[in-house]
Amino acid sequence: MIQLEDVSRVYRRGADEVRALDHVSLSIERGRFVALMGPSGSGKSTLLHLLAGLDRPSEGRVTVAGRVLNELSEDELASFRAQHVGFIFQFFNLIPVLSARENVELPLLLTKLGKADRRERANTALRVVGLGERAEHMPGEMSGGEQQRVAIARAIVSDPEIVVADEPTGDLDAKNAAEILALLRDLRREFGKTVVMVTHDARGEQFVDEIHHLDKGLLDRTVPGGAQVSRSEPKASEDRQVGA
Amino acid sequence: MSWTAFLWRNLARNKLRSALTGSAIALAIALVCFLATMPEGLERLLDSVAANTRIVVHDSAGVAYDWMPYAYVEKIRAMRGVVGAASWTWFGGAYRSEEGVSFPNMAVEPDAVGVVWADWHIDPAVLAEFARRRDGAVVGRGTMERYRWKVGDQVTLQAEGYGRMALTFTIVGEIPLQRAPHFLFQREYLEQAMAARKWHLDGTGMIWLRVDDPARVDPLMREIDDTFRNSEAQTASETEKSFFRSQFSALEGLALLITIVAALLAVCIVFIAANTASMTVRERMREIAILKAIGFSRRQVFAMLIGEATLLATLAGALGAGASLGLSRLARAASGGWNAQLGPLSWFIVTNTILVEGLFLAFFVGLISGVVPSLGAARRGVAETLREVF
Repeated sequence: MIQLEDVSRVYRRGADEVRALDHVSLSIERGRFVALMGPSGSGKSTLLHLLAGLDRPSEGRVTVAGRVLNELSEDELASFRAQHVGFIFQFFNLIPVLSARENVELPLLLTKLGKADRRERANTALRVVGLGERAEHMPGEMSGGEQQRVAIARAIVSDPEIVVADEPTGDLDAKNAAEILALLRDLRREFGKTVVMVTHDARGEQFVDEIHHLDKGLLDRTVPGGAQVSRSEPKASEDRQVGA
Repeated sequence: MSWTAFLWRNLARNKLRSALTGSAIALAIALVCFLATMPEGLERLLDSVAANTRIVVHDSAGVAYDWMPYAYVEKIRAMRGVVGAASWTWFGGAYRSEEGVSFPNMAVEPDAVGVVWADWHIDPAVLAEFARRRDGAVVGRGTMERYRWKVGDQVTLQAEGYGRMALTFTIVGEIPLQRAPHFLFQREYLEQAMAARKWHLDGTGMIWLRVDDPARVDPLMREIDDTFRNSEAQTASETEKSFFRSQFSALEGLALLITIVAALLAVCIVFIAANTASMTVRERMREIAILKAIGFSRRQVFAMLIGEATLLATLAGALGAGASLGLSRLARAASGGWNAQLGPLSWFIVTNTILVEGLFLAFFVGLISGVVPSLGAARRGVAETLREVF
């Protein structure tokens, strides 16, 4: 599903070169929930951007869903992202002047779906994340956890194969963080999505199938996640029912 | 949600800023629309005040330079096709010394007034009284209202150019035109007053005449000028419209100046709108990065941002152009072409063509002001922006 071969990413800062990723090779299979972990500056967000088609490698090759992203133009990358990748960011990043449903509808503006279909699909996505009743609320009227769930609905509304999340629990309290992690796990489990998450949150380890640790731009080690090791069901507090 | 709704919501996110920018654009467009009426308005104004069968004759050196012999009046009256002719002698009297000469006061032959200026529709009874009474004066309605004069009032005018001569007149009637400020009195009255001072009034500044057929105007003007070509005072004849146009030439220069200022104003508005667009884009860098991340292409981001700038400018332009159209129609309806308060303003009509030009101008203001910030935001790399804003 996702294949990175000997990938490096070098940034220029004035006369200096910063090697954010250094010859990283990585493979992520379809339907896996994967965490990228490591200290700040380790290159995990850079790796996420590369495999999501937001950035291009300086060296190496990135293949996602059968497409070699290095070879795509900017417009083709945008189209690729619209069709194959859903994004969740740390600070929710909803458009403040749009309602929850309208925020979820945004990616569908890029499709050929009619107005009624767009609306229906957005409502369905909101029901999946348990916010069917709050579709007309504005972001400012919602809690952080609810806003992040709207962001998840927006990420899945166009039914992408891959969902990438950059610190999705970074701005949430423990309870909401656990709910978001469980929701991401359910995307993998119930909808077959490949979920790649950058996180500092150690609680995330028990929800994922595998964890790739990065340090100073290098892939340090890969370990099985809690979901892979125990195969046990999550604790009651984490086990929430998504409204589908 | 549609694209239009999305643009609209973005415009409404900072209502005060959008309202202020929109107001600036609306005001500028309204001003430009009004100024665009100047050339046609002046022409319309000339058409309204100038008859197509009236000719004015003055010294070829210019109206202000020399007088023509009074005998020219009789010679012109005798020419074929001339219905009537009147001398037109500037008195230059001031009603209130502190105001100076505040309306044109002229000595004329009363018998000729009703013929040469038949289109003024002065009451025949008034004309008869004007001819009968040597100190009589007929006064334009605008001046009558301005000084709250009424028929029968006695008015004294003092003229510096005639050795501080003061003449007292009795108003015998009005010229029923708002746009006519004239104060006309008998030439004979002035002649007698001058004779009392041992002066002799033997010339006239201008001669107005009316011809029987518009087709005779050009030949007659040539005939008049040819007749006096080798005389002591050569003449220059011109149509009333041509005469007024030369009087309005200073106004046309002013209109050109105002048009240049308006064009500069439009450029300023472009900068103001561009500044607003830049601020809007800068504040929304994170949102724009998110839109790009979820699949909006550079072209779509550019279209969205330029669409917002253009929509705001066009809506504001429609408001401004519509307001100028409404105001000009209101002024015209209220005054019927001339009004003591509005003066000739109501002749400057915002037409549908000007309205459309105003809308296009507003559209281009939005387009030009939005190009640079929109292009910058669209071109910016998404990963680079995400690194900066997160």
